[in-house]
Amino acid sequence: MPPPTTAGFDFESLRQVFDFSYFWSYREVLLSGLLVNFLVFGFAALLAAGSGFVVCLLRVSRSRAARGIGTFYVELFRNTPEYVFLTWVHFVLPLVLTRLLVTRVNFAPTLSAVLALGLCYSGYFAETFRTGILSIPRGHIDAGRAVAMGRALIMRRIILPQAIRRVLPEALNNSVSLFKATSIVSLIAVPDLMYNVVNVVQYEMRPLPLYSSAAFLFFAILFMLSALVQALTERWRTRAWG
Amino acid sequence: MPPNADPESSQPVVKVVDLHKSFGALEVLKGISFEVHRRDVVSIIGASGSGKSTLLRCVNHLEVPTSGEVRISGRPLGFRLDGGRRRPDSLAGINRIRMDIGMVFQQFNLWPHMTVLQNVMEAPVYVRRLPAAEARDIAMGNLAKVDLLDKRDECPARLSGGQQQRVAIARALAMQPKVMLFDEPTSSLDPELTAEVLAAMRDLARDGMTMMVVTHEMGFAREVSTNVIFLHDGRIEEEGDADHVLTKPRSERCRQFLSRVLR
Repeated sequence: MPPPTTAGFDFESLRQVFDFSYFWSYREVLLSGLLVNFLVFGFAALLAAGSGFVVCLLRVSRSRAARGIGTFYVELFRNTPEYVFLTWVHFVLPLVLTRLLVTRVNFAPTLSAVLALGLCYSGYFAETFRTGILSIPRGHIDAGRAVAMGRALIMRRIILPQAIRRVLPEALNNSVSLFKATSIVSLIAVPDLMYNVVNVVQYEMRPLPLYSSAAFLFFAILFMLSALVQALTERWRTRAWG
Repeated sequence: MPPNADPESSQPVVKVVDLHKSFGALEVLKGISFEVHRRDVVSIIGASGSGKSTLLRCVNHLEVPTSGEVRISGRPLGFRLDGGRRRPDSLAGINRIRMDIGMVFQQFNLWPHMTVLQNVMEAPVYVRRLPAAEARDIAMGNLAKVDLLDKRDECPARLSGGQQQRVAIARALAMQPKVMLFDEPTSSLDPELTAEVLAAMRDLARDGMTMMVVTHEMGFAREVSTNVIFLHDGRIEEEGDADHVLTKPRSERCRQFLSRVLR
């Protein structure tokens, strides 16, 4: 009879993956970290949507120079990885500003995180908004021109009210991605969920259950957010004007 | 009022002089001149691609002419004379004149996020800056004229094509224009709905509205218009009073065109 093999499936590790007790005992510090994620997300989303809208107006402008600036902006931020941009904003930008302004400039990690993620995602928001504006039929605009409406009035009264409804689902999807991206801010020492998890892991020496619980928590939150967006989108699709 | 008391009344409402329009290398209009006087109803006919719609869109500057002049009640549209030199006019200047020109499109082009009444009130409120109550009265009056007062709170998407086009007529009328342009107003409607739109246009003509109509409806052209312009290949091939152009045209091309469409 051969001895029973020990190289079988490691049930102990699998059990630890689903062991939430460590996470639970540190729930206060960990959830306060999650709150930081939401905070960074909130301010970054405002910045991204706001500057995205301004850049989108540049992109649809009649001035070739304005369009060029808008395109450059969008391409720059859409094609720079969030993490690379985050470290650049946090470690390089203050140095550059210090030289330029001849005063010492320092960014708090949370400010860097909001700036970096906000600017990164403003490129996506700008493109989303632009698609919405370009989706309005030419005829609706001609009808406005024919009754002597000016450009700003056509934008405000005819294009934007329709475009906003059309781009809301996509804008919400961008926001979900933005929330996902907040998980990297611990890399510049923003005290978010992952940052606190790492600290607890170093103290407890139990990486397996703690990292797993954090992963489950992120998954649960993002899954619910996506489902919510999907449900809202479905309702907008099925509901015609009025 | 005695004739000519208003200095503008002696002017043609629309005067077009040697109008050219090119899209890139393609010259669509090759020197068009005509006048439309008060209470005229001018039908513009011709094969597709002859430049009818482009001509109409040049009359309210939705298309910018390559050269030539458009004048509305004597006022130049799209350019200013600055010490004898011709300069492009500002959009604000163009819009001051556009207020006198109503336009109705083939695709209706109602704004889908507004109710019928809001569509009609939009320009009086936001362009002419009338108080809402006054704009509402004007809008209701115009909706009554096209017999759609009961649909005022509906969304355009819930109306038939014919009803949508009548709302579009009311929307244009709400600016109290001096001339109405119709760009193939019945071409996307089936015959039954065509009839109700033509009836609304007939009423307008009877009320004395000055109108330019790009149309394939030869019956309407003969019955309602005072003048007919036949366009061929970017030029006016034949023009004159409706009866003359539609029954005994001089031009061979016009005869051929009519025999094809009248059959």
